Amino acid sequence: MSERSRSRPRPRSPDVQIYRPQLTSVLSITHRATGVWLGLGSILLVAWLIAVASGGDAYATLDRFLGSWIGAILLFSWTFSLFYHLCNGIRHLAWDLDYGFELPTIYLTGWLVVAVSVILTLLTWATALALKA
Amino acid sequence: MLIKSSRQISRWRIPKRFPVPENSGVSPESRIEAGQIWPEPANATRIKHLQVYRYDPDSSRGPRIDTYAIDRDKCGPMLLDALIKIKNEIDPTLTFRRSCREGICGSCAMNIDGTNWLACTRSLDEISDPATVYPLNNMDVVKDLVGDQSHAMAQYATIKPWLRTTALPPAGRERLQSPEERAQLDGDYECILCFCCTSGCPSHWWNGDRFLGPAVLLQAHRWLVDSRDEATAERLDELEDPFKLYRCHTILNCTRTCPKGLNPGKKIAEIKLMVQQRQG
Repeated sequence: MSERSRSRPRPRSPDVQIYRPQLTSVLSITHRATGVWLGLGSILLVAWLIAVASGGDAYATLDRFLGSWIGAILLFSWTFSLFYHLCNGIRHLAWDLDYGFELPTIYLTGWLVVAVSVILTLLTWATALALKA
Repeated sequence: MLIKSSRQISRWRIPKRFPVPENSGVSPESRIEAGQIWPEPANATRIKHLQVYRYDPDSSRGPRIDTYAIDRDKCGPMLLDALIKIKNEIDPTLTFRRSCREGICGSCAMNIDGTNWLACTRSLDEISDPATVYPLNNMDVVKDLVGDQSHAMAQYATIKPWLRTTALPPAGRERLQSPEERAQLDGDYECILCFCCTSGCPSHWWNGDRFLGPAVLLQAHRWLVDSRDEATAERLDELEDPFKLYRCHTILNCTRTCPKGLNPGKKIAEIKLMVQQRQG
């Protein structure tokens, strides 16, 4: 081996840059992302409670913001995050008790979590819009 | 789509990779450059293109991707056959590990088409065209497809993968096991330490310096459940660590990619349960 090559650090082989996304890793990173998003959402919840406590003007301002289309998108994303994190959390609880580790089960419950969280989100919004109308 | 065994390749080929910048978090010497496109074979009807990661420590260049074209009618059925054909007939500088060519030595583990598998048990029919061939992920590259396994082996050594006893063996015979006790090792002893799982584990990518990774934890489980081993409590003490064991976030890329169809994710969960249950 030459002097030059010994002084040069070896390259590190690529990982996240080339590894194929799969249901396993995609649902895992989504669980993390929805968890972080829910954490931020809890700040909004506190802001909402403070607005309620501090009287009509503050509440009206916040309510106007949440009623706008940008507020609606944010609330929709939090609804989905809540249901996804809940459903996948149940999956994690089962894993912690050593259930559901066979590969067909991992994929079945994975797709089930996606489907159920989407359905619950849509149901919640359908109900909310129906009550508002 | 539903996947029934790790052998199965998803029919969904999109997306090929996560939407991260190609060089995100990549050190300057690891940046991949464009490489050479080798000539197509003459008079070939069935051609398979392979985009292979190349790195030569004796040149001043960084890693690059070379594209080879293989005449399928003059090549064996497996990816390893194609790599050997390249080395014999096209480019003798191509470097890779191989030995048994039947999926029992674990030498030819590499990242094929984005997931980890053994080149000798992956048919050329199953991979896309062009197919990408990289070394196992997140390893220091010695040359081309050969990753430095020193770190993985050092992590393996930390779990003391041998029978630990204090009592002497019974006089005049070996330490015997009942068939039931022996069956406890099923799903563990088949591991060939190819490190497909560990190098496909995102948690090991980010915390590989301290997290042991699925291959080593599966081996840890193998010694925890061995009826002859007398150091179960010490082994659990050694593993009970926020990083060594608990950086496993049940992503399960390990179970998805194991070329021997084993279930490292399940075994890690069982270690976590053993730690919980002994606390009563």
